[in-house]
Amino acid sequence: MFRKTLLVLLTLMISISFADFSFASEAGNKRKGKYTYRKVYESCQKRGAVETAKPKINPDAHTQAEWTKIFKEKKFAEFGCAEEWSKLSDEQLKDIYSYLHDHASDSGTPAKCN
Amino acid sequence: MKTKHIKTYSTALIVAAAMVLGVAGLALAADTAAKPDWFFNDLVDIAFVKQHVQVPMDENITLIDSRPKRAKYDLGHIPMAISIPDMEFDENAGKLPKNKDNLLIFYCEGPECKLSHNSAKKAVKLGYKNVKVYADGFPGWMKESGHYPSVSGEYVKKQIDSGTDMLLMDSRPKRTKFDKGHIPGAVSIPDSEFEQMTGQLPQDKNKLLIFYCEGYQCKLSHKSAQRAIALGFTNVKVYSAGYPEWIEKFGVAGTGETKKTATKLKSGKEEGSIDIADFEKIMKENPESLFLVDVRDADEFAKGSLKTAVNIPVDQLKKRIAELPTDKPVVFICGTGARSGESFYMVQDLRPEMKSVYYVEAGMTFKKDGSFEIAKPK
Repeated sequence: MFRKTLLVLLTLMISISFADFSFASEAGNKRKGKYTYRKVYESCQKRGAVETAKPKINPDAHTQAEWTKIFKEKKFAEFGCAEEWSKLSDEQLKDIYSYLHDHASDSGTPAKCN
Repeated sequence: MKTKHIKTYSTALIVAAAMVLGVAGLALAADTAAKPDWFFNDLVDIAFVKQHVQVPMDENITLIDSRPKRAKYDLGHIPMAISIPDMEFDENAGKLPKNKDNLLIFYCEGPECKLSHNSAKKAVKLGYKNVKVYADGFPGWMKESGHYPSVSGEYVKKQIDSGTDMLLMDSRPKRTKFDKGHIPGAVSIPDSEFEQMTGQLPQDKNKLLIFYCEGYQCKLSHKSAQRAIALGFTNVKVYSAGYPEWIEKFGVAGTGETKKTATKLKSGKEEGSIDIADFEKIMKENPESLFLVDVRDADEFAKGSLKTAVNIPVDQLKKRIAELPTDKPVVFICGTGARSGESFYMVQDLRPEMKSVYYVEAGMTFKKDGSFEIAKPK
């Protein structure tokens, strides 16, 4: 009986972690996200709203949980360039989310936006 | 009365002194006008440049063209100069020699041009100890009779593609070199047979003649260019980087088939990625069949990359995206797949007509000898 419970628990745990994993990886295309993210700031700079085309927030500025929260609630104020952000499609947002999430400060590969 | 005399004298003296000082001041002003304050402090003249510019170059000497590449360097530069536009100096510092004692000579568009002076100051900041500026620059160089400019591969390609009326000449030996591969449209006039073959040169002395041979180590094209000038030709240029660079940049040897389109390769799991096993196989058997672009920064590239890779840092890719060929598959590489993936999507966005474009979706480590390892994604 104990063994069976353990097995069930284990299966549950594994499937949960899998579900979590697939959420992160299927959420979007992080490579495309990186390009889109940088493009936002390029066009933002072009209209003169920011000084440099370098995005002001790096992926490692937040933890994965924080990124998830920001994108769930669509609170993009800290990114600036609101005009460009408002034009992004859900798919593009998902891509950007994947990029930022996968390189968050507590991810395996925290990154600056270079 | 006496005192009045003395007074007059001293007044005269003061006036005279003032005049002398004034003249001196004027001379000083004239001197500073000749040498503006933005000038670099160590200038050299054409004789110095001539003494140090040789084919092949002494490996301890680098001649640097600080002007914009596409608008100036490509169209004509002092032979053997490399291009590091002042605007892109920081990104391209990796092209400078490692040895800080080496002689660096910077030049640009003449005494009015600040670019070479600015770059020279930046080089000094980086620790280079033997830095000079040839202030008369490219116009100064070209003023001397017998001098000709070098042009870049991009320039030669453009003339071919746009059907410019010119004669492109391969100065290398015919049987051992030309017959095995040459730039499309080139005719074989080996330097050793130049005098016997002058009949093949055009009647019109103002026609554009471009000579090339086996790259920066090869003197033949320079010798032939001088012979052509001696015969009275007025529009003579040398493609100094020559055939080796042509193959690297444009790939198509000798056959004249420039319109070939790139074949497709086996894809990996992720969109745009190349199958890793396939990539490793091609790198082993036929690396030249790919146009490999290392999109890391110049300093990373300098530490080691694939032998056949060209360096276009991802930050410059947008500007240089036209350089990507359509007759070969383009493969982007970097350290992790992040920047190469970004590059792939940039091409999708900006040059959607390019169908054979890939990136390596994996961690790559490069060694100085051009070998590499791929850590397959988990």
